[in-house]
Amino acid sequence: MPFVEDPACLSKSRLKSDLVAHNVELPPAGSKKEAYVALHLRHVDQTNAADFSSDDDQEHNVAGGDPEGAKELDPSALTDKDLKALLFKYGVQAGPILASTRAVYEKKLRKLLQSAGEGESNEADNAVLYSDSDEEDVSEKDEEKELEGEQEKKSEALELNQQQCNEMESRSAPSACSYSKPEHWSRSSRLDTDIEDKDIVVEQAVRYTPKDSACVKEIKDPVKDILKDLLPDTKTSPTGIYATPRRPIKGAAQRPIQYAYPDTPVTPTTLERQEVARRLAPVYVQVLVFFAVMCILFLIFVNVENTNNVVSLLERQNQRPDGEEGIPALDETQDAACGEL
Amino acid sequence: MSTTSQKHRNFVSEPMADKPVTALAGIGDRLGHSLMEQGYDKAYVVLGQFLLLRKDTELFCYWLKDVTAANSMQADDCAQCLKEWCDAFL
Repeated sequence: MPFVEDPACLSKSRLKSDLVAHNVELPPAGSKKEAYVALHLRHVDQTNAADFSSDDDQEHNVAGGDPEGAKELDPSALTDKDLKALLFKYGVQAGPILASTRAVYEKKLRKLLQSAGEGESNEADNAVLYSDSDEEDVSEKDEEKELEGEQEKKSEALELNQQQCNEMESRSAPSACSYSKPEHWSRSSRLDTDIEDKDIVVEQAVRYTPKDSACVKEIKDPVKDILKDLLPDTKTSPTGIYATPRRPIKGAAQRPIQYAYPDTPVTPTTLERQEVARRLAPVYVQVLVFFAVMCILFLIFVNVENTNNVVSLLERQNQRPDGEEGIPALDETQDAACGEL
Repeated sequence: MSTTSQKHRNFVSEPMADKPVTALAGIGDRLGHSLMEQGYDKAYVVLGQFLLLRKDTELFCYWLKDVTAANSMQADDCAQCLKEWCDAFL
């Protein structure tokens, strides 16, 4: 049991807290560590020895020791602070634990403990399924390590898995921990799914992956096994780099076109405009019609208006300086205008 | 706005002021009565509980099912209603 520790190895504050926990009077404040060690040796270790010699079942030590250890603990027996701390370890940011909210948080904790327990059994099953050597030892080791509290080794596990991810990225194979996502396989050549895998791996690593280096080997083997399971006809490469064939690009290199695009890229609005233009008269025809109508109107205007202004205009136009012939000229021009019409 | 009820839309559209707890989506007469007996007579009191649980809909559902005889659908509706109200007004 990890409780047997040499008091001299402990820090002064740790010794103090241990003494307080065992209701031992603390030495005066300025005392050296040796005083604390001596007291610790005298009182604390005696009680520990008594415990070890007397009990067979381990529940005493577990209950007295860290609450993180045993998974059979009762959430309703925890203090508010412990409950909050435990929930935080599972990634749940708990609000104030009051009379009304306590029941809710206990329920949540129970669910988390259940799912963690299921996760362990899943991992044990998978370990049995996938690892080819050191099966039983590794799976047993896994369970033990889960029990000891995997959350404390979060950073180590993360580092381990980052290393694994870096290795696996080059292979573009699904990571061993994400057993439930074989469909990433088909898109594995893309970087973003690799990043997703990494996230999933890191997330799951926090809960499931043990820190033992022997398990790194175990995880590496399932990668190759998965590869062979999914694509049985892949050739094993000596460098360990596996390339997956992607779907052929349609329309390139004489492959049949999946979707035929129109030759000229026309937007729907231009298509509409073209259709409309077909039905209506072309622009030049409209312009000609406009000028014709203007001429007709001008002639009508000339015909109707009998003012001197119009006459002088016409005279200037016709370049007729004769004043006497003004009026007959006017008649002539008017007749001419009528004749034109 | 896929399958929200009219009650939900009514609640989320304006500040809740002094609306009774039965104005919440998912809370009918029976559940409303049950909540009022426990002291949650106004919608803002239930809102208070929702906020205490840090606006977590899952935890709120646990609480509501614990405190009343609500089923999952009713609890989900209520939680969703409160969440949207908070998103809009809080």
